[in-house]
Amino acid sequence: MDIEIFPHRVLGSDTTEKLLNDLESIDDVKRTVIHGPRFPKTEETLPPQYRERRVINVNGEDVVLQVKTGRIFVELTMESTIDEIEKVCKQHIPYGFDINQSKTNYIRKEQTVSDRIKYGDMDLPDELIGMTDQYSSFEDHVKIIRKDDFD
Amino acid sequence: MAQIYPGTSQVAQNRRNFTNPEYELEKLREISDEDVVKILGHRAPGEDYKSVHPPLDEMDEPDDIVRELVTPIDGAKAGDRIRYIQFVDSMYFAPAQPYLRARSYLSRWRGIDTGTLSGRQVIEARERDIERLSKILLETEYFDTARTGIRGAGVHGHSLRLDENGLMFDMLRRQVFNKETGKVEMVRDQIGVDLDEPVVLGEPLDEETLKAKTTIYRIDGEAYKDDKEAVEVLHNIHVSRSFGAFDPNAGW
Repeated sequence: MDIEIFPHRVLGSDTTEKLLNDLESIDDVKRTVIHGPRFPKTEETLPPQYRERRVINVNGEDVVLQVKTGRIFVELTMESTIDEIEKVCKQHIPYGFDINQSKTNYIRKEQTVSDRIKYGDMDLPDELIGMTDQYSSFEDHVKIIRKDDFD
Repeated sequence: MAQIYPGTSQVAQNRRNFTNPEYELEKLREISDEDVVKILGHRAPGEDYKSVHPPLDEMDEPDDIVRELVTPIDGAKAGDRIRYIQFVDSMYFAPAQPYLRARSYLSRWRGIDTGTLSGRQVIEARERDIERLSKILLETEYFDTARTGIRGAGVHGHSLRLDENGLMFDMLRRQVFNKETGKVEMVRDQIGVDLDEPVVLGEPLDEETLKAKTTIYRIDGEAYKDDKEAVEVLHNIHVSRSFGAFDPNAGW
């Protein structure tokens, strides 16, 4: 099942970093998609005091942010995880947020014609379906973050 | 005493304050004349005003009683061009909003033309007058550095979610938040042309101040339905204009 976290403000890089780190540390969270307006092309030319875009670190992996965080889609398996997610969100999003469950899928689960055009006839692993849109390159938009395996 | 706006809520009181020409608006920040000229982008600072007709004194005008009655505003006297400034007010507790701006502009100043749209509000006047008015509009409670945008073009954003730092979305990124100083700076003029030096507009107002100053009824602030008096007046207007002169008892 998927849920959508909808913050009442568009999140900046710092909050996104903290939020994603805590979300990723929840065991049941399989995949997350950040959705929102793209950073403007002129971002790199701005003086540093105005810049919002930066490389964030999620569970030890560097992630280059492409968009500002407008919504976060999270794939999970158990309903009970939603409470944990809510707790994490309450901690990091002081402006309020909604957790939506009205759709069964927020992240696409079936392969489409666009996927076939993009990747050819290859067998796409299930966990990569729905992680990128047809207009963007895969490397730029998908980051595979390993879960901690120590117990 | 002119009856400006009904209602007992703070929002109604704020609306009355803006619209009442006798009420002196609170000055919140200082922006120099030169900076105002830079933001407007109609002429370079220090440049002479271009004119579209000779000064009125030098013109041979026909005798007319209205011309004698009405004192021309400074810009008209000098023959300036008509220029504009346009504002966008966020739905999230911006101090002013388009309809209120129109009402208050027209009740406060002469020689202006104003246009109201759902998300933006333009005011036009002769160049030196628009500069004088812009200074008032930018320095007083009409303006908040985060929730109000000065946008001649690319106005989209009044109904979008705010950024985390409270700034309204702006596709041209004219007003940007300076992380080091905590102030909002204008790096482009109102139509999006880069400025040589940023114009510092000042710190954004905090949420409580904005909620106290806003003229927008919102369910998460003061809801319109809770302002009984304002609703009653609206209801009366609705009924009387629906019926017109029709009297259902008399049948005509």
